[in-house]
Amino acid sequence: MNNSIIRTENLEKIYGNSSVKTHALKGINLEIPRGSFSCIIGKSGHGKSTLMHLIGGLDKPSGGSVFIDGINLSALNDNKLSEIRAEKIGFVFQFFNLLKNLTAAENIQTAMMFGKIPTKEHAKKTDELLQLVGLSDKANAKPGEMSGGQQQRVSIARALANNPDILLMDEPTGNLDSESEEEVLEQILKIHKTGKTVVIVTHNKELAQKAEIIFEVKDGKLFSI
Amino acid sequence: MNTFKLITRNLFRKKFRFLFTLLGITIGMASFVALFSLSGSMRAEVTRQSHAMGANLMVMPDGICVFNQIALLTGERVSETIQIEDFYAIRALEGLSVIPHLTQTAAVRDRETVINGILPQETWDFRNWRMLAGEYFSARDEHAVIIGSNFAQMRDLGVGDEVTIRGSEFTIIGILAVTHSNDDSAMFMPLSTAQTIFGREGLISYMSVVVDDLSRMDEHIAAIIEAGTVQTSTDEQLLSSVLAIIGSVNITLQVVAAVALVAAAFGTINTMMTAVYERRREIGILRAIGCKRRTIFKNFLLESGLYGLFGGVLGIIVGLAAAFFAGDFISRIGANELMKGVTTEATLDINLVLATIGVSLVLSMFSGFIPAFKASKLTPTEAMGYE
Repeated sequence: MNNSIIRTENLEKIYGNSSVKTHALKGINLEIPRGSFSCIIGKSGHGKSTLMHLIGGLDKPSGGSVFIDGINLSALNDNKLSEIRAEKIGFVFQFFNLLKNLTAAENIQTAMMFGKIPTKEHAKKTDELLQLVGLSDKANAKPGEMSGGQQQRVSIARALANNPDILLMDEPTGNLDSESEEEVLEQILKIHKTGKTVVIVTHNKELAQKAEIIFEVKDGKLFSI
Repeated sequence: MNTFKLITRNLFRKKFRFLFTLLGITIGMASFVALFSLSGSMRAEVTRQSHAMGANLMVMPDGICVFNQIALLTGERVSETIQIEDFYAIRALEGLSVIPHLTQTAAVRDRETVINGILPQETWDFRNWRMLAGEYFSARDEHAVIIGSNFAQMRDLGVGDEVTIRGSEFTIIGILAVTHSNDDSAMFMPLSTAQTIFGREGLISYMSVVVDDLSRMDEHIAAIIEAGTVQTSTDEQLLSSVLAIIGSVNITLQVVAAVALVAAAFGTINTMMTAVYERRREIGILRAIGCKRRTIFKNFLLESGLYGLFGGVLGIIVGLAAAFFAGDFISRIGANELMKGVTTEATLDINLVLATIGVSLVLSMFSGFIPAFKASKLTPTEAMGYE
């Protein structure tokens, strides 16, 4: 139990109003060990992205609790939740979600603004991260000037900006061609080897096969595979 | 990367929208600056004119309305309904120095001109005039005119020039040294000559009075009213009456400026609301990577504040330039007698500058408040468009 970095207890999420309700998650109990590589698979609309949002503190559950490193996210106010997102969790999204008017380096540094890394170290740390994802030559390129794979690698570098313990990835290869997919996957495995806890939400079974732990979300319920 | 850089990048990313929003604020603030600057200089000018008259009591036709009293300060024509006998009677009262004025208008070199009939020696002593060029009147009924220094400059007239007034030829025999009053923009001739050529024998328009003992002002006023069919106004009463009129004009101008400012504020609200709508996804991304609600709120508020800062600074520059050129134009055409021929420069008042930037900043930030609040209330998932 003490080794779990992510834990949920009877997690519930209901969307909609009093007349129309959608029960997206139905009492999810999940434990993810520190330093593991996990995948959550499931068909579209079965609640896997919702689960990721709740684990990442992007959304509030309708019931139950999410614990990150022993901290109950449901008990935190918005400020504290933002701090957790900035310092403990790095997000990678299917559509990269980079800020289009900023360069690759600026996108990474923007994430650093919300963490605890001193400003004077931002430039050096950005160089290291761009080197890690193999994009040192793209520091001044804006998202529109990069391929999908390159943008996703910048997105991974941004997710690592504040040296978080957890990387949450929502379909990280879902919008990439096969060559780019390989590049990104390689980056993910490399990062996992540094001791980060990686959780990927995907419907890509090939990607899921590379994970140490696989969960499936089906009709709002969680199953271990 | 820092907050300021992030905000300015967002500010300038839509250049035309930035430009037009800034223009709206600039125009609003410029009208604010120009109107306050002009009304301030108009108020200062009236006060100065009042002090430059050298009189502390004005004797006017009985029943003159307050709006006509402004003509006493501006040097415009005042109806000639006071009998000269009343002047003699008032002049005979002890403790007073009195001079009469007959103001008439006539075309001089194809331009309407106010001509002042005066008693030469008495007025010279009363006004403490000096000559810039030529000579002063040597006789009480001389067929000649003298002119103020600005009048000479504006009409391009000099000593020895001939002018035709009501069909009679007059020679300009002298130009007065600068008095910093409306005398600088006026033409003078002896009272009897003016009465004759204008057919106003035995009549004058008003009198300027200096009371020797101000503590006996009420007593003197009672004696003056007893002596003729006239009414009086002290220089302070006259000044406050005219300033009240200017004040009401200023209020109208300020309402115009306020409307421009409100329009600019709505422009800013519109721009910021559009920015929030367009940047929803970015707000979501920022929130997802750890940006707090209050940082989103602060950034949008500062962004709208920057519009105010830039608009305020540009508004001051444009407003002062507009006030300067408007003042200069008014002065040239003499559209406003208060400013005709006298300095109307728009002064760089530090209080006005600070007030303008302050108003602009507060107004813009106030306009940005609701958009900033809406932006800060977005949750990461709804902002990124999930589910």
